[in-house]
Amino acid sequence: MKRRSALAAGCVTVGSIATGALTRPSSGGGPVATARRADDSSDTDRRSEPILEETVHETTLYEIDAPESGPTAMVFGGIHGDEQNGIEVAQEMTDWQPDAGTLVVIPETDRIAVENGEREGIDGDLNRHFPPGGEPQSELARGVWNALETYDPDVVLDLHRSLGIYGVHHQYVGQIVFHSPDARGSALADALNDEVIPWYMPLHRFRSSTSDINGPLLFQAANRELGATSYLLESTSFVLDEDAMNRHTRFGAAKVLELHGLLETEGDE
Amino acid sequence: MTIPRPPIRRVLASPVTLATYAFLVVPFALGWLRSSWMSPLALPGYLIFVIGTVIGNAIAPRYEFWVYWAPFLAGSFGLATVVGYGYEAWQDERSNEG
Repeated sequence: MKRRSALAAGCVTVGSIATGALTRPSSGGGPVATARRADDSSDTDRRSEPILEETVHETTLYEIDAPESGPTAMVFGGIHGDEQNGIEVAQEMTDWQPDAGTLVVIPETDRIAVENGEREGIDGDLNRHFPPGGEPQSELARGVWNALETYDPDVVLDLHRSLGIYGVHHQYVGQIVFHSPDARGSALADALNDEVIPWYMPLHRFRSSTSDINGPLLFQAANRELGATSYLLESTSFVLDEDAMNRHTRFGAAKVLELHGLLETEGDE
Repeated sequence: MTIPRPPIRRVLASPVTLATYAFLVVPFALGWLRSSWMSPLALPGYLIFVIGTVIGNAIAPRYEFWVYWAPFLAGSFGLATVVGYGYEAWQDERSNEG
């Protein structure tokens, strides 16, 4: 009987890996491949600078100017220091090559929280420090807001992670695109579902939700105060390893750039 | 005529019980270990696990999701036993007819 059980488990294991490999959605091409292409044009201008210089919050901002003029997109990772997917993908994005416009990335927005591997930094939850009708509520929030005002972006993307799934686990918000009313949130969620979510993980499908912009979150304030089209992308760690979470976040970030004209993938007009 | 009842020890050791248990647990466990190993075969286990977390999370939201492995393994074995019981009962019925 033991031999029979081991044989059954072995067959299921091999069959499972084989069918997984054969049915996995392919996300090798598309906007991520376009953003990562190796032929870095000499016309692309890259620079980095510290923000909140000579304070405990000092962190690095990266600016990548494409050869063609176009919109400015600003991407934030590490607003919560324990959400590694957003930090890693934002760091990768500093090597991306947009076709048009300007890509501005701050991978470790709350650097102290990132270094401590904790959600909140020394001033609390940075993503609650941008109340309507008031000043940003901490030194770090004011520094981040100054950078936002300096670049006055057309598009803002904030990268996050949740432990559960929105609508499935009631206190969690994973696998959702929160967006400002003028954003293309449903197009982004549809693209994520088509390209990175396998059909056999139906409860991991992304949803989109138009956000009330009168909240204290950075992406809400960016839309409310600066008129930027803004997104907050929440991936989940539920049942997913780091590679999968990063794949979702990376694809979502590249798709936002594509939807707003910073990337031109094959087939675009 | 009485419906034959297979003994529980035979049901627990039934190849159908064991194969069903392996089918529910192994593909999902592989996908849990490494997301790239998730496959269509993991769908039944995936649904059982997620439904378990939905119920558990609604009742006691403080627990981390790995805690749900224990009820998942027990519940999967319960389901596999039901399938194995049905199979063994069907086999007994067939042999009685013969």
